[in-house]
Amino acid sequence: MLVVENLSKDYRTPRGALPILSGVSLRLNRGDAAAVMGPSGSGKSTLLYIIGALEPPTSGAVTLDGQNPFALGERELATFRNREVGFLFQDHCLLPQCSVLENVLTPTLVASGRGDDYDERARSLLEQVGLAERMHHRPAELSGGEKQRAALARALMMRPTLLLCDEPTGNLDQRAADNVASLLFELHRAQETVLVVVTHSTELAARFPQRFRLTEQRLIET
Amino acid sequence: MLKLVLRNLSYYRRTNAAVVLGVGVAVAVLAGALLVGESVRASLRGLFLQRLGRATHVVSAPNFFREALAEEVRAGAGFREAGFDAACPLIVAQGVVTHEASGRRAVAAQVYGVDARFWEFHGRAGSAARAPRSDEVLLSPSLAAELGAASGDAVVLRVEQPSDIPVESLHGRKDDVGSSARLTVRETLGAQELGEFSVRPSQTAVRAVFVPLSSLQRSLDRAGRVNTILFNARGEGADAGEASAQTEKLSGLLRASATLEDLGVKLRALDDTRGLTFESESGLIGEGMEAAAREAARRTGAGAEPVFSYLANSIRAGGREVPYSIVTAFGEEAFGRLLKASATDESVAVGTRAPSSAAGEKGLPEVVLNEWAARELGARVGDAVSLEYYVWEESGRLSTRTAEFRLAGVVPIEGEAADRDLVPEYPGITGSNSLADWDPPFPVELSRIRPQDEAYWDAHRTTPKAFITLARAQELWRSRFGGLTSLRVRAASVTGGASLGTFSAALRETLEPSAAGLNVYAVRAEGLAASRGATDFGEYFLYFSFFIVVSALLLTALFFRLGVEQRLREVGLLGALGYTRGRVRAIFLTEALVLAGLGGLVGVPGAYAYAWLLMKGLRTWWVGAVGTTALELHAGPWPFVFGVLGGIVAAVLCIVLTLRGLRRASARGLLAGVVGEGESGGRGDGEMGGRGEGERGWVKRILRRVPFIAPSPRRPVAPSRLLIPSVALVAGCAFLVAASFGAVGQAAGFFGGGALLLVALLGFQSAWLKGRGRGTIGGSGWWSVSRLGMRNATYRPGRSVLCITLIAAASFIIVAVDAFRRDDSAAAARDRHSGGGGYALLAESLLPVVHDPNTNEGRDALNLKGAGEGRAALDGVTLARLRLRPGDDASCLNLYRPSQPRILAPTDDFRREGRFSFGGTLDAEGEARANPWLLLDREFADGAVPFVADATSAAYVLHLGLGEDFLLERGGGLGPLRLRLVATLADSIFQGELIVSERNFLRHFPEQEGYRVFLVDVPEGRDAQGVAAVLEERLSEFGFDAASTAERLAEFHRVENTYLSTFQMLGGLGLALGTLGLAAVLLRNVLERRRELALLRAVGYDRRHFGLMIVAENALLLACGLLTGTLCALLAIAPVVASRGGRLPLASLGLLLAAVVVSGLAASLVATAAALRAPLLAALREE
Repeated sequence: MLVVENLSKDYRTPRGALPILSGVSLRLNRGDAAAVMGPSGSGKSTLLYIIGALEPPTSGAVTLDGQNPFALGERELATFRNREVGFLFQDHCLLPQCSVLENVLTPTLVASGRGDDYDERARSLLEQVGLAERMHHRPAELSGGEKQRAALARALMMRPTLLLCDEPTGNLDQRAADNVASLLFELHRAQETVLVVVTHSTELAARFPQRFRLTEQRLIET
Repeated sequence: MLKLVLRNLSYYRRTNAAVVLGVGVAVAVLAGALLVGESVRASLRGLFLQRLGRATHVVSAPNFFREALAEEVRAGAGFREAGFDAACPLIVAQGVVTHEASGRRAVAAQVYGVDARFWEFHGRAGSAARAPRSDEVLLSPSLAAELGAASGDAVVLRVEQPSDIPVESLHGRKDDVGSSARLTVRETLGAQELGEFSVRPSQTAVRAVFVPLSSLQRSLDRAGRVNTILFNARGEGADAGEASAQTEKLSGLLRASATLEDLGVKLRALDDTRGLTFESESGLIGEGMEAAAREAARRTGAGAEPVFSYLANSIRAGGREVPYSIVTAFGEEAFGRLLKASATDESVAVGTRAPSSAAGEKGLPEVVLNEWAARELGARVGDAVSLEYYVWEESGRLSTRTAEFRLAGVVPIEGEAADRDLVPEYPGITGSNSLADWDPPFPVELSRIRPQDEAYWDAHRTTPKAFITLARAQELWRSRFGGLTSLRVRAASVTGGASLGTFSAALRETLEPSAAGLNVYAVRAEGLAASRGATDFGEYFLYFSFFIVVSALLLTALFFRLGVEQRLREVGLLGALGYTRGRVRAIFLTEALVLAGLGGLVGVPGAYAYAWLLMKGLRTWWVGAVGTTALELHAGPWPFVFGVLGGIVAAVLCIVLTLRGLRRASARGLLAGVVGEGESGGRGDGEMGGRGEGERGWVKRILRRVPFIAPSPRRPVAPSRLLIPSVALVAGCAFLVAASFGAVGQAAGFFGGGALLLVALLGFQSAWLKGRGRGTIGGSGWWSVSRLGMRNATYRPGRSVLCITLIAAASFIIVAVDAFRRDDSAAAARDRHSGGGGYALLAESLLPVVHDPNTNEGRDALNLKGAGEGRAALDGVTLARLRLRPGDDASCLNLYRPSQPRILAPTDDFRREGRFSFGGTLDAEGEARANPWLLLDREFADGAVPFVADATSAAYVLHLGLGEDFLLERGGGLGPLRLRLVATLADSIFQGELIVSERNFLRHFPEQEGYRVFLVDVPEGRDAQGVAAVLEERLSEFGFDAASTAERLAEFHRVENTYLSTFQMLGGLGLALGTLGLAAVLLRNVLERRRELALLRAVGYDRRHFGLMIVAENALLLACGLLTGTLCALLAIAPVVASRGGRLPLASLGLLLAAVVVSGLAASLVATAAALRAPLLAALREE
């Protein structure tokens, strides 16, 4: 279970602390899926990065299945992210010098103790996202939708508990966006992840059972 | 637009600073190298001028002349008008100085016999106090240090005893060739006080000794005589044209003041009948003198009759003999007169000998005996008469020969036949009161002298007993010193004392001082010309610094390109806003010019620092290459101007080439921030790629249509990318194979083959980096992460190839250069075909040795057969002898340009042995192919004299190739001697000399006597140093100095190896720049990919993983560069190593590896630190 309690985040600026998040709380169980909306600069991505243990909060707590990642050391935190969190960004962030398959395998290179079926799983995921024929291609040879599907496969590679998506369809046309969104839900359901998506897209948000709006530093369920 | 440019320069100041720095380094290295050349030249010039003092011209002669000549020339009309203002007579010689207390010996020290006039001439105050007095001696600092001599110490100075009579003539003194004096050291004379005075340019320490002129004159038995005069010309005579004109004027002044005595001429008035006799101090009249005397006689309306007198050991006829008689030869006319005056009837018989048959002697040359001799021999006209005489053979032995004649007449002792003055003065003979008192320099058997012989001497002295024709006499006795002993000048108008003056005046007009060996040298102008150096150090350091310059320019281009890539969106935006491509290029070019200009300014102090560092290196670490610590930095403006301009132009050219990559980039691609290789293999390649990626170019268009070469997704590497490297590989291998078989030179093979191999391997790597089809990176652990890091090298393959190129080029130089290091093993020098020719020792004597030390007689004469240890030590030891014309060292040990190189002439025996190894020969055929020494016998239609030189000296000091000529100025009005290079010796001990045949040597340098250079063959297993010690001890009177040939070679090798070290060190600097470039590329890659790194962090990568990835990428590039450079170097040097029996450069390889590891680690650390400092969330948010 993902528990966010009374979370605050300030940024230091020359003119003093700039509050971004204030008293944000959230509770999601395995299999839950939530969309977070809000205007640009409202702190949506910051919330996502704090939940994903990429950025520490100023105050408040985040736990995933009872584990507070910010209490971990650097190596343990990296391992936590590797095992428990999957990220999907608006820009696919695929490594251009690696093939699609290698991109999907990227998290496995630093993993340990999870067995050696990575290659099989990567191929399976690519089959699930419809890229079985393109697994040896370079990212530059893929369309935008294909790149995002490859990135989704990579995000799910380590069977994460938490799947965090930052504008996953923001760079895609409607058809490709629908395609990616469907895949996202399908795989989320199949793997019973906690899915949190930050988006501007009302169409995408509408497909989530839980929706939140981040406004004036606070998270309000809509 | 200017404002935009300024804003751009300011905003992108960090990237621009890197570009400025790159240009600055290139400028600093270029200008610094030129500055080194300028500094070396200026230092050599300064050193020479300091040592020369105020002398501009020197008059010197092999024989001594009157000391008063200096003052007479100075006081003569026209001296000041000719631009001269001072003259100073002195004696210049070479000597051996021995420190009495320690026994330390300095051979070939420069000896100056001077008085107060010397310091007065040079404008030094207190000249009277400085001059050595009585038995005092002043030493130069280096000589004092070498001897360990201090004030008050006693030294023994031995110099060559001058002799008017050539040593290698019959009457020359061969055993008493030196004169010794014990002197007391007064003080050491510093350079400012002319303690290092020298008229010959050399950067090595001057070992000089200054002795009182009068003492030296006494010691040499040359009172009131000197052999040198220094002159000072106003205006310093530095300009070559001016100096030449002044030389002409001085020659004229000298001709006006020099007496016949100064020119070595003896002119005596005899009587009314006999006229004048013209003789030479040497006893023999050379061709120049003879021609001048004949011309003087012609001008005065006189006749000149040649006379050649010689000493016969025996005159024999019919079993009788007359010992030790003068035989005189006349020309046809005089001989005819003699025949007329003699009884020619066969019935004329003197004595009681039985008549003999004359039939058999008809064909013999004629001889006329005087009555006394005919009577003593009982000879009658028609009888056979034989003359037995000594001949000093040029090979170094006295031999006895016999010539047969037919008695053509018997002449009474009267008239011409009674002339005692037909014989020149021979010390030890002509002045003796009796035959028993003779003390000639050859053996005389006093027991053979009979009372009647003494009676003849008492009555007739040197009156000849026999007469032959001049032609026959010259066949028998002519030597390189001349073929006459006197000329009789006889005519009605030139008899008696008054005529002596007339002929004398005419002779002074016709006899050039130079023909008598009295030559004028414009020493300052010649020295300044030599100061330009045998080696242009500026050029050398430009070569040495080549890789640094290239590295700096590549870095400049790299940084500029990085800056451009950083601004691709801006470029796209400007295009979208309607800026033409030309205008955008103009903006970048303007920025490039400004940055290059700033780089030039930054480079100026850098150039000074670089030059300072190199000069410091030449004075310290690399002093072995220059042999002096007197090199100082001289910062003239021109090196800076040329360096800055060169650096800026090169940098701008590089930048222009870099900008060409943008020409075909689309505005959309630019707006997306990508161009060229970034998306290697991607769909956008055709749209945005640089030259290497697109489908442009006619070559690629053709290749795309060729089966098996056209690109295909199935092939990991497009075959078209392999075409050029494959061609380069084949061509490189062909070069190396050709070099191995001698079809091309080793240097061409090395540079050509090596460069092509580098191109090939770099091309293959470029193709590989741009290719695809690699194994999937999977699994987990450090190796998987490392593989991912290595894969990053394919992200920007162009940058990666650039890094590999920088590292490979530097590695290539460092490794390849090391293989050219010379082997110093003594064993190698003992091989007959090695640089030492198989000889253990190389020796040089200060005084000429004329006896052959390989014969019993020679060993006797040279005291080499004495008892004791020495005798055994010299058993089986042979000495190859070489004649020497002293001069400038033509080896790399001399920084000055040699205008008068040392010339050696080995004996024919030496040449026939065919020792040493040759690097190249000029059209060798037949026997000369097997033994190129025989090429020295070649005759050229234009009269050029063939010579052999060491290959290194020919290439780097003389700057001559095979078949090219060296013009040697000889003075004496002879014009330059054309020497033609016919063969080069490979890595030999003869780097300092040119070698000609003995025949040519004697023909062109007859004044050089005896042998002074010796190669000592020591039997295997014998102690060469022991042999050297014995030889030095036994031949100490000759100033004999022997050293190991291995040491001599090692001395040369040290110079070469030092140059190689310099090259390597600067290659190392290039490597450092390459590493800097590598760090820059890694850093740039990291910064460009920070979003990817952020993502990796998001999926669980920590700093260890990033560090590992960057180190792996770095290691791959370093390894590729290192392996590429090393492999190409090893292949390129293989022919050299094979032919020279060299060794693999393991030491430098190890050092290189260590340096690369250290520098690579440093580069990795910088990049890793930058990667970890990058704000990841900011990177992730950059959408």
